[in-house]
Amino acid sequence: MLAVSLALSGIVLGSVLLLFSLGLTLIYGVGRIVNFAHGALFSIGAMLGVWLSGQGLPLWVTLILTPLIVGLLGALLDWAVLARIRDRPMVDSLLLTFGLALFITGVLYELGGRNVQIMPIPSALEGAVTMFGLTLPVYRVFVSILAIVLATGLFLFLKNSDWGLRVRAANDDPEMGACLGIDREALMHSVVGVGAALAAISGVAAAPIFTAYATVGDKILILAFMTVILGGLGSLRGAVVAAYVVGMIIVFGEGYFGGQMALMLLFVLVMAMLINWPRGFFGEGRTE
Amino acid sequence: MTSSIAMQSKPSSVEMKQSRTPYLAAFILLAIVGATLPLWVTGNPFLLMLASHAVIAAIVALSLDLLTGNTGLLSFGHAAWYGFGAYLAGLLSKNFSAEMVLIIPLTIVAACLVAAVVGAILVRQIGKTFAILTLALSQIFYALVFVLSDQTGGEDGLQGIPMATLFGNTVASSQAWYWLLYGVLIISLGGALYLRTTPLGRAWLAIRENTERASFIGVNTGALKLIAYVFSAGLASLAGALFVLFNGAVSPDVLHWFESGKILMYVVLGGVGTIVGPVFGAALFTFLEHYVSSYTDAWLIYFGGLFVLIVIVAPGGLFGIGRSIYARFKTGKGQTT
Repeated sequence: MLAVSLALSGIVLGSVLLLFSLGLTLIYGVGRIVNFAHGALFSIGAMLGVWLSGQGLPLWVTLILTPLIVGLLGALLDWAVLARIRDRPMVDSLLLTFGLALFITGVLYELGGRNVQIMPIPSALEGAVTMFGLTLPVYRVFVSILAIVLATGLFLFLKNSDWGLRVRAANDDPEMGACLGIDREALMHSVVGVGAALAAISGVAAAPIFTAYATVGDKILILAFMTVILGGLGSLRGAVVAAYVVGMIIVFGEGYFGGQMALMLLFVLVMAMLINWPRGFFGEGRTE
Repeated sequence: MTSSIAMQSKPSSVEMKQSRTPYLAAFILLAIVGATLPLWVTGNPFLLMLASHAVIAAIVALSLDLLTGNTGLLSFGHAAWYGFGAYLAGLLSKNFSAEMVLIIPLTIVAACLVAAVVGAILVRQIGKTFAILTLALSQIFYALVFVLSDQTGGEDGLQGIPMATLFGNTVASSQAWYWLLYGVLIISLGGALYLRTTPLGRAWLAIRENTERASFIGVNTGALKLIAYVFSAGLASLAGALFVLFNGAVSPDVLHWFESGKILMYVVLGGVGTIVGPVFGAALFTFLEHYVSSYTDAWLIYFGGLFVLIVIVAPGGLFGIGRSIYARFKTGKGQTT
C-alpha cells in the first residue's frame, strides 16, 4: 500500500515539475538559454501567491493573477537584460541568468523571504477523498489535474496556434526561422514570459504543499535540470516523460531511503543514463 | 559558438613577446608586495586573516580557471571539489593525523581519483549540459554531508579540528599561515602559467578555441579535458584542505551552490582564461564581500547585480578592462605599430 500512495505523490511532484520544466525547455528551445533564474521565478510565484491570498483574494484569482504578473516580469527581464547578450557565446547566458537568480533571491530575502510562509488551502479543497481504499488530500489531486490540464493546453496551443508554429520553427532552426520573417526578439520576449508564467503558476499551486520562501525554487530547479537532461535538452515530449520519472524516483527514494539519498540516487541514475544516451529519452536533445 | 570563451583581444605572439617585460615586472612587484604583507599589517591581525582567506579564494579561483579558461568547460559546481577537500582533510586530521605533509597529499590524491571517475562521464558533455551536471554534482556532495552527518556533523559542520603540524612543528602563528598559503598560491600560479607554454597547455587552448578542429588535427580531446578536470579538482581540493586546517572548522555552506557561484564570480571578475586575473578577482571580491556585508544585509542583491553588470558590460573582467585601457593609452601616444 505504501508503494501505491508513494506513486500518487510521485504524480503530484511530477506534475509540478512538468509545468516548471516545460517553461525551462521552451526558453532553451527558442533562445538557447538555460535559465538558471527559473527557480527564482518559482519562488517569486510562491511568495507572490501567499501575499495575494493574504490580501483576501480567492485562490482562483491568485492562480490567474500570479502567472500574469510574473509572466510580464519575465518578458520585461528578457527585454531589459537577456536581450543584451543575444549573440554572445553561450557561457555568458549561463553566467547572466545565474547572476539574475542571485539578484532575485536577494530581493526576495528583503521582502520577507527569510521566513517560511504558509499558504492556506481554501475550504472547498480541504480534506481528503477515499479512492480504491486510499485517502488522498483533495488539494494534491487538484494540483495534479491543474498541471496536466495546463500542460495539455500548452501542447495544443503549440500545435495549433500561429504563435506555436513560430515557436516550433525557432526551436528547430532559429536562423531559418528568422529568414522566414519571424521576429526573434518579440518571440523571445513572449516565450520567456510564458516560461516565467509557467514557473510562477507551478510555484503558487505548489505553495500550500512546499510552503513559500526565497529559496524554495532551488530544489525544484535542480530536479528540473535533471528532468531536462534526462528528457534531452530542448525536447518537449522528453521533458513530459522525464518529469514523471524524476518525480517517481525522488518520492520513492524519499520513502525508502530518506530525502538526501533520493537526490543522490537520481544523480547516479542520470549519470548512468548519460553514458549511453546523452540525448535523452527520445534522442532528440541537443548536446551543444 | 559551441565552446569558445569570449576573449577581448588576442595579441599576436610577437606583440606578446614585446609586452611581456612590463607584465613580468608588475607581476614580480605585486608578488613581493603580497609576500611582505604580514610585515606591514602587524597592528591589524584581522586584516591578515582576511588576506589569508583571500589567498585561499585565489587558489580556488585559479583551479577553476585551469579548467574553464584552458578548455572552455564551464563548471558551475566547483565548490564540490573545494568542499570535498575541506571535509576530507578535516576528517583525516581528526581521525588519523594532524601532519600536513601526510593529509594534504592524501586529500589531493583522493579528490583526483574521484574526479577522474566522475569526470570521465562529465567531460563527454559540453557547454550547458556540463554546466548543469557539475552544478548537480555539487548538490550531491552537499547532500552527502547530511547523509553522513554522524561523521561530518551535518548542519553544525565539522568542528574541533586539531592544530595542523608541518614536519612535526605546530603551525599556529597567523604570519606563518599566511606565508604558507601565499607560497602555495605562488607555486600553483607559476605552475599554471608554465602549463600554458607546454604542449599540453597549447592543446588545451586549441580545445577551447575549437574542439572539433582540435580533434581533427589529432588532439585527443576527451583525455585532455579529463586531465584538465582532474588537475582542477585536485587544486581545488588542496585549497579546501588548506582552508579547513587554517580555519579549524568547516560548515556545509562551502558546498552550497552560492559558493560555486562565488568561485565563478572570482574568475569572471578577474577575466576568464587569463590565469592571473582570477587571482586578483578572488582577492578583490573577498575584501569587497567583507566590507559590503558589514554595511548591509542585502549583499546578495549587490552581488547578483554586479554579476549581471559585469557579464553585460565587461565580459573580459578586470583583466579585459585593464588590457583595453592599456591599449588605448598606447594608441593615444601613437606607439602602436
